[in-house]
Amino acid sequence: MRFNEKELVSLSRQPSERAAEMGMKGPKKGDVVKKRLVKLVVNFLFYFRTDEEEPIGALLLEQCRVERESSHVFSIAFLDEAEKRYIFECDTEDQCGQWIDSIIKASYEFMRKNLIFYRTEIHRLTGKDPLEQYGISDETRFQVSSGLQLMPKDTSSM
Amino acid sequence: MKIHKKILTHYLSCTSPVDKEGYLYKMKERTATYHRRWFVLKGNVLFYQERPADRHLLGVVVLEGCAVRRCEADGGAGPPCCFSLVSRAPGLRAYRFAAEDRLTQEGWVRALLSASHRYLALLVGDLGRQYEEAKREQARVEDGSSAASGSADGGNQHQYHQNPHQHQHQHHQYQQQSVVRPRPGSLLTVEAAKPDVREERSFSAGHEAQGTPTFPARAAHKKPPKHWARRNAHVTPLNGPAPPYGEWPSVGLDPLESFAKVHEHYGEEVLRVREAWLRRRKKQQEEEEEEEVEEHGDKDLMDFM
Repeated sequence: MRFNEKELVSLSRQPSERAAEMGMKGPKKGDVVKKRLVKLVVNFLFYFRTDEEEPIGALLLEQCRVERESSHVFSIAFLDEAEKRYIFECDTEDQCGQWIDSIIKASYEFMRKNLIFYRTEIHRLTGKDPLEQYGISDETRFQVSSGLQLMPKDTSSM
Repeated sequence: MKIHKKILTHYLSCTSPVDKEGYLYKMKERTATYHRRWFVLKGNVLFYQERPADRHLLGVVVLEGCAVRRCEADGGAGPPCCFSLVSRAPGLRAYRFAAEDRLTQEGWVRALLSASHRYLALLVGDLGRQYEEAKREQARVEDGSSAASGSADGGNQHQYHQNPHQHQHQHHQYQQQSVVRPRPGSLLTVEAAKPDVREERSFSAGHEAQGTPTFPARAAHKKPPKHWARRNAHVTPLNGPAPPYGEWPSVGLDPLESFAKVHEHYGEEVLRVREAWLRRRKKQQEEEEEEEVEEHGDKDLMDFM
């Protein structure tokens, strides 16, 4: 599968929401904890070997489940495979909580739902569609029907 | 660098909304020939494969930090109805596409322009603030109307006197609202992230109302947020100069840095708002047990269509 690797690497170098060194363990049996620089940029989680310019890998943070495993540890499960999780060991309890929060909010789908909520509410309160001023009222991505399940049935990103 | 393919294919096949899909011709760099591919745009990722039903994903293009260009800009070189995705970073490749017709081309250009995560974050931040402002306005109006009606029986002289003052005070309490208005040109490129910050009076004309609520009766159930104070830091005199809006990043800052601040700032608000909304929604669902939730929502939003 091809992907715009150079652009992604370039993205990984940009200012991030959150970046820190932590212990990271892969989802496969036999994976061990390794020290990695973990960096959150838009809805991607990049991880680097400390002091390396190019990330080892990139995880797209959509359709994933973030959970607190213990006071300092959180996990991310993808593909509805709850048993296969990436484990992240933080330095402090606070840091752990902040990462969980940031990752949840980084998801594009999470943001889309919020946008639709605001759009709906602003329209209800003011009678105006706030997206009109930007000329994007008709964009599919911002339609109320797009972000259905206003009561999120898939809580996988929460 | 490794990209976790399974996560991408899962995202593609799951039930999250598809923002656009269809056939496009994609240019193969090496041979400069165009090949027909099936494209699916979801969020800030563009997937492509040979045919819609294909299991095999040919590739993805992550849409961050790139601009969309119609090929007319290149002096008409290339096939008709073509456009390209150009990375902001220098020396990086451009993706070239061609559509069957103008309509298709336009549809894709528009969809790709508003696809980036950063763009969405700015929008959400902006709308979040408009929402808070709208709620404050509503609370103000409600307070004003209840204060006026409270003195109707003329019982307490002292109270009666106070109300006109309150109203007058309200007229001068215009909240300065900074609205992020992307420059007209900037909406046309995905890379644009420098919002023009313009200060605006919010709802100026409509709210000199004499306390008559202009909102639907249903909204009256809402209680004003507890932290709302009549005198707050954002109050400015009607004709005074616009103070710098401290919370909003000013023009000229690195847009990426601004985004990070904005995102962080509204992340918290968003979470709180969402929780409150989920609670209300649940209550509403319990009350309207017979009614379909979706249908109810659609009725309210006919105006969008």
